[in-house]
Amino acid sequence: MKIRLKLFFALFFASLGLFAWQAPTVHAETTYTIGTDVTFPPFVYANSNNKYVGIDMELIRSIAKEEGFKVDIKPLGFNAAVQSLSSGQIDGVIAGMTITDERKQTLDFSTPYYESGIVMAVAPSSKITSLKGLKGKTVAVKTGTQGASYANSIKDKYGFKVVTFDDSDNVYNDVKTGNSAACFDDSAVLNYGVKTGLGLKVVTKPADVGQYGFAVKKGQNQKLLKMFNAGLAKLKKNGKYDQIIKKYTGKTATSKTSKSNSEDRTFLGLLRQNQQAILNGILETLKLTIVSIICATIFGILVGLLGVLPNKFARGASTTIIYIFRGLPLLVLALFIYNGIPSLTGTKIPAFVAGIITLTLNEGAYTAAFVKGGIDAVDSGQMEAARSLGLPFGKAMRKVILPQGIKIMIPSFINQFIITLKDTSILSIIGILELTQTGKIIIARNLEGFKVWAIIAVIYLLIITLLTLLSKWVERRIND
Amino acid sequence: MANLKVDISDLNKSFGDNHVLKGIDFKVANNEVVVLIGPSGSGKSTLLRCLNRLEAPTSGKVSIDGKDISNTKTNIDQARENIGMVFQHFNLFNNLTVGQNIELAPVELGKLSKEDAAAQAKKLLATVGLEDKYDAKPQSLSGGQKQRVAIARALAMNPDIMLFDEPTSALDPEMVGDVLEVMKKLAKEGMTMVVVTHEMGFAKEMADRVVFMADGVVVEEGKPEDVFDHPQNERTKAFLDKVINV
Ligand SMILES: Nc1ncnc2c1ncn2[C@@H]1O[C@H](COP(=O)(O)OP(=O)(O)O)[C@@H](O)[C@H]1O
Ligand SMILES: [Mg+2]
Repeated sequence: MKIRLKLFFALFFASLGLFAWQAPTVHAETTYTIGTDVTFPPFVYANSNNKYVGIDMELIRSIAKEEGFKVDIKPLGFNAAVQSLSSGQIDGVIAGMTITDERKQTLDFSTPYYESGIVMAVAPSSKITSLKGLKGKTVAVKTGTQGASYANSIKDKYGFKVVTFDDSDNVYNDVKTGNSAACFDDSAVLNYGVKTGLGLKVVTKPADVGQYGFAVKKGQNQKLLKMFNAGLAKLKKNGKYDQIIKKYTGKTATSKTSKSNSEDRTFLGLLRQNQQAILNGILETLKLTIVSIICATIFGILVGLLGVLPNKFARGASTTIIYIFRGLPLLVLALFIYNGIPSLTGTKIPAFVAGIITLTLNEGAYTAAFVKGGIDAVDSGQMEAARSLGLPFGKAMRKVILPQGIKIMIPSFINQFIITLKDTSILSIIGILELTQTGKIIIARNLEGFKVWAIIAVIYLLIITLLTLLSKWVERRIND
Repeated sequence: MANLKVDISDLNKSFGDNHVLKGIDFKVANNEVVVLIGPSGSGKSTLLRCLNRLEAPTSGKVSIDGKDISNTKTNIDQARENIGMVFQHFNLFNNLTVGQNIELAPVELGKLSKEDAAAQAKKLLATVGLEDKYDAKPQSLSGGQKQRVAIARALAMNPDIMLFDEPTSALDPEMVGDVLEVMKKLAKEGMTMVVVTHEMGFAKEMADRVVFMADGVVVEEGKPEDVFDHPQNERTKAFLDKVINV
């Protein structure tokens, strides 16, 4: 028992070590963390090597080179990127973001680097040719975009409903499947999409014309903003800017991605092309799962034991912790820790650490509940008999109650491990590049929703099977 | 009063609004065997459990060997080492073998080495007639065997008083005799015992004193022949009529 306990703590500290290892290392050249969208071609998208390219990506990389700084690109998704920026988790956002007065309240923008308006796209077979045709219909937009605010500003006038999605490909798919009659998005984006075989047609002229800017949090990272402006001016002067724009919007742009359309789109082909990305995703998922299982188990056991102490305050504390963290939706907890707390305290929390804390609290609360339940399920006569012999509470607990309680708890532990593994997928919301987020990004590029999600699902099932087998093996060892 | 083992005065115990023990005075001399009888719910178990503070008294004083058990400053674990208790439902540790059940407390509390505890366990098992059950799991024993192991377990701490709470009530009739035999042996060896039981035969034969409780008070007490043959109180009479005629 003692050895087992020691092993437990060794693992615990090892996992703390993992945190430290995750912490950003300091480079000689300043590295800025730049958030961007998962997919917003031609401004941001992953190419067939899963490298992020597009107008925005080439601009920020060229500017960084000009001005002598480094960038760490985080494809968080538009909405999450803007939130992470305002909570100070990242230094800047470049994601085809229109400069608006509302955004200027919380963000500082660079000089505009592109001009675009909002257009409407419909399915090729659609008879809708103008905004008037939308009466009683549903329109798809992406959360937090200019297209979304445009749609919302005219929806009453034209009598349509608005549904929002976090990713562009979900927006387009909704139109293609006919769930939505149309979508609104930036003209550059939709025109590029139409050219590269998106399978939608644009039916309106650009409205609500706006300018795109690179953004930092208001009052913060002014040096970065200055460098961006200076770098942009240099690129415009030396012709590099025009070169980039032409590369992604000119005639040759079409051939660039039509190549990706001729990729091998069988399951095996998809697996082969995305091998590295998927492997990295699996590793990240495993790392998250293992570290959070260890932390949540320790936290859960401690809180659970607190709940069976012969002390009212300890029991109250345990019940409260369980109540709060079991009651909070995992998604809310993750966003609160990653975006909420830093925006109050001003300290960054790495996404991985925020993810671990989230899972530790949530899964730990469930663990605490069944640890408490398992101990309570041991006949109270066992404790009385032990105490009547003169054994102190702690010894009675360790020698008599816990060994019986743990047997009761084992199935719940195995169950909780599997739930923890599955719940890591929710951490994609804070931009952790685990398996689910990897899937999103691959689909954003190739739009093979069915096949890629099927691959991801099978991988999860495989990992869960392995985890279950491992747990059962441990269970047998303990029961012997 | 030097040889008083148990000295309880004005003991009150309430569970919420339920006033269970109402000012009990109760004394046990060294080497005395006291049998507690009374209708169900009269507070016999509660009184017994106040003796080793499995229940904390609401008010009043409980002394064992002059040590104030009711005082929360008293080291209760140390006091309990000398107070053996046997439960109606045995409460053998299900995760341990018979031998481990008996050895756990002496080893964990540093009274005996592992080897000595094992030797003692085997000896105790022999005295309760279960020498071949050392390696058995409690689940494989009959009720009577379990209760005899439970007695051996309590004796392993070498207590100088033993509390029995209806030790034979959960047993099949044919098992009762074996357990009573062990208890009689103990009594003859001079163990101080407080026994809650409905076994009137045991009370008549072994008790130095019988105490009849009802509704949280001691109604009547005395030598077994006096209480059983010439009960003074109507409630004692009514109770004895019921249990003896069944
Ligand atoms: N832990 C407890 N909580 C609440 N009430 C109790 C508890 N233990 C005993 N009682 C109550 O105290 C009274 C006396 O019980 P008990 O001492 O077990 O009686 P007896 O052993 O004589 O049958 C009963 O009314 C019972 O319901
Ligand atoms: Mg009772």
